[in-house]
Amino acid sequence: MAIVTEYYLLLSAAVFCIGLYGILTRESALLFLMSVELMLNAANINFVAFAFYWGNLTGQVFSLFTMALAAAEVAVGIGIILVLYRNFDGIDVTEAATMRW
Amino acid sequence: MAGAYDFVPAIAALPFVAFLVSLFFGRYMPKRGAEAGIIATAGSLLISVWTALTVAGITGPATSYNENLYTWVAGVGDGALTLNLGVLVDPLTALMLLIVSLISLLVHVFSLGYMNDEGETGLPRYYAGLGLFTASMLGFVFSNNLLMAFMFFELVGLCSYLLIGFWFRDDGPPSAAKKAFLVTRFGDYFFLIGVVGIFATFGTGLFAPLTEGGSVAAESFPVVAEQVLEGEASVDTFGFDPQTWFTILGLLVLGGVLGKSAQFPLHTWLPDAMEGPTPVSALIHAATMVAAGVYLVARMYGFYLLSPTALAIIALVGGFTALFAASMGVVKQELKQVLAYSTISQYGYMMLALGTGGYVAAVFHLTTHAIFKALLFLGAGSVIIAMHHNENMWDMGGLKEKMPITYWTFLSGSLALAGIVPFAGFWSKDEVLYEALIHGFGSAGGLAPVYLLAYAMGLLAVFFTGFYTFRMVYLTFHGDARSDTARDPEPVRWNVKGPLAVLGIGAATVGLINMKPVAELTGAHIDFLHKWLLGPEEGGWPALTSTGLHHYEVLMKDVAGIQSAYPLGETPTLLVSALVSLSLAVGGVLVARSLYGGPDPVEHTDRLGGMKTVLMHNYYQDEYQVWLAQGVTVPLARAADKFDQGVVDGVVNGISSVSLFTGSRFRRIQSGIVTNYAALMTLSLVLLLVVFVVFGGVVN
Repeated sequence: MAIVTEYYLLLSAAVFCIGLYGILTRESALLFLMSVELMLNAANINFVAFAFYWGNLTGQVFSLFTMALAAAEVAVGIGIILVLYRNFDGIDVTEAATMRW
Repeated sequence: MAGAYDFVPAIAALPFVAFLVSLFFGRYMPKRGAEAGIIATAGSLLISVWTALTVAGITGPATSYNENLYTWVAGVGDGALTLNLGVLVDPLTALMLLIVSLISLLVHVFSLGYMNDEGETGLPRYYAGLGLFTASMLGFVFSNNLLMAFMFFELVGLCSYLLIGFWFRDDGPPSAAKKAFLVTRFGDYFFLIGVVGIFATFGTGLFAPLTEGGSVAAESFPVVAEQVLEGEASVDTFGFDPQTWFTILGLLVLGGVLGKSAQFPLHTWLPDAMEGPTPVSALIHAATMVAAGVYLVARMYGFYLLSPTALAIIALVGGFTALFAASMGVVKQELKQVLAYSTISQYGYMMLALGTGGYVAAVFHLTTHAIFKALLFLGAGSVIIAMHHNENMWDMGGLKEKMPITYWTFLSGSLALAGIVPFAGFWSKDEVLYEALIHGFGSAGGLAPVYLLAYAMGLLAVFFTGFYTFRMVYLTFHGDARSDTARDPEPVRWNVKGPLAVLGIGAATVGLINMKPVAELTGAHIDFLHKWLLGPEEGGWPALTSTGLHHYEVLMKDVAGIQSAYPLGETPTLLVSALVSLSLAVGGVLVARSLYGGPDPVEHTDRLGGMKTVLMHNYYQDEYQVWLAQGVTVPLARAADKFDQGVVDGVVNGISSVSLFTGSRFRRIQSGIVTNYAALMTLSLVLLLVVFVVFGGVVN
């Protein structure tokens, strides 16, 4: 007895909202990065769920791509965080507010 | 095998190379760049001679040449214009190439004496200017289409600006150069509109049809215009009657001609242009620049013949200018000023001839004038060297014994200018007046009175010409020396005397190429220039280029309505006309002799009364043109500026300040805090989703 697709979608939406909430409320850049990962994985869950629903592999393959992308993004993100730390003595994203008009 | 025609572009290219060489390497040369100019113009002269021989048929059958050499704008699609650079060589071109390269060679040689020996500085710039001037005039002469002619026409104007303003550290020359440039530019403005109009109407600017293997490959605009008038072709005439439209086009182009050839009312730049070095004046007046205008009318004469109105205007302007300028020359005190006004007057004669259908006479006068006016200017240059650059004739006198070569050659030129038999000017001026007279009697409709009026003015100018010319000669060379420099003038060298001798002989003899009265009397066919422009009776180049005299004569009769009539019979009319003009010229000379011929002449200008002031001020031409500029153009420009600053710029500034203001408010949302951006994005996405939900997906 397979689990119905709707549940997967609900799970994905929940994970996405948690990620979004994290981005909107947290101040630490590391948590930011984690929240972004959550949102990406929410999308992955969607891909896999729909692939299962339609019975083809496209979605699963795509989610592999997303993971590779996520890995790259984390590398860049960590790099940015390191620079942030060096320049602002901390990783609070609200501190680094000089890039504006 | 490469014939002469393959080398025609080199005629202009050689002086151009000389321009580059003088400009960049002139300062390393012993003569500061003169060598390059002399070699290049000598080369041009040689190729011109070769070309002329080829055209004449001495090195083979008589031919002409008309080819496009380079396409610089290729039209794509139907009715698109293709702009070419090309070469047209027919007898007119060949003759003019000869004149220009000869005069410019002599001027280069003369410059050695006038500029180098006088220790002038900046000579590479001078010789570079001369080279470019010569190159652009030669390029103008062999242009095969109107646009190319216009481009070189402008180059000529630019070079005259550079050379007139050569002594730019003084006050006079830069202002004279600016004036020359602006006044001719004013005329060229109309010329440009005319060029655009001709291209828009005919789709081509060719002067003569291009032929390939005996059939016409591309028609020329005078021929198309002719076909339109005969109803064989049609062009877009912008709602005008074809003939009216062609008249308008012709008059627009004439604007450029009036500016360059210094015809009334655009003549004011030429006397001021005397501020330039004298060899440059010689070049400007004799061969380049001023000749360009008249040459252009002769070049597209087939087009002007289609419009009697334009012809009448040309004749009237020419006749009036001849008299007008001659009357101003009478009171001038400076040697070069007298010559300047004589130039304006003589070009008036050429315009008179062209306007009255005297094509040969105009070309003849252009030729003889080039020789004798170059001679007179170079002679004046020699006198100026001797007088340590004092040009006032009242400080001269008695130079006859001290500088015999200059005197005799100058006298030859003066006799030619005054039109005394048998010097060059007599034959050509006589032919100009004769053509005006017989066409004045014979032509139909309104042309006849106009021609006769123009003839009368031209005839009266003959007297003035004789007078001012010999006033100049007597004041300069005869009588007692009136200043210390005149008592002990500086000697001149071979490089001054050589060109003078060549031109002095030329001024005495060049009239022999078309002695119409003698030919008429003796029945001998010695009117060589006439035959030169006429070409073979059947076939040959006239049939190919349609620039032959035969063709023009047919057009004159059929389209322009110019006919000849001889009130006394052909030969007597010719002789009487010649006699009248000769006796007027001699009369002028004798009056000059009686007034200024004594050992100690005094000014007689006071006897003119109020006229003297008017003449001294050149009929207030400068004043009224300055008034036009300051009283009309400046307020107009100021009003336009106000409109531009207030309305046009106001709108633009208003728009930009509105966006500046909104921008300054909107940028507040860019706080620099990442969280805010994320919140904004989320909110916008939600909003977008809500919109989609409300409108049910895709909004059409």
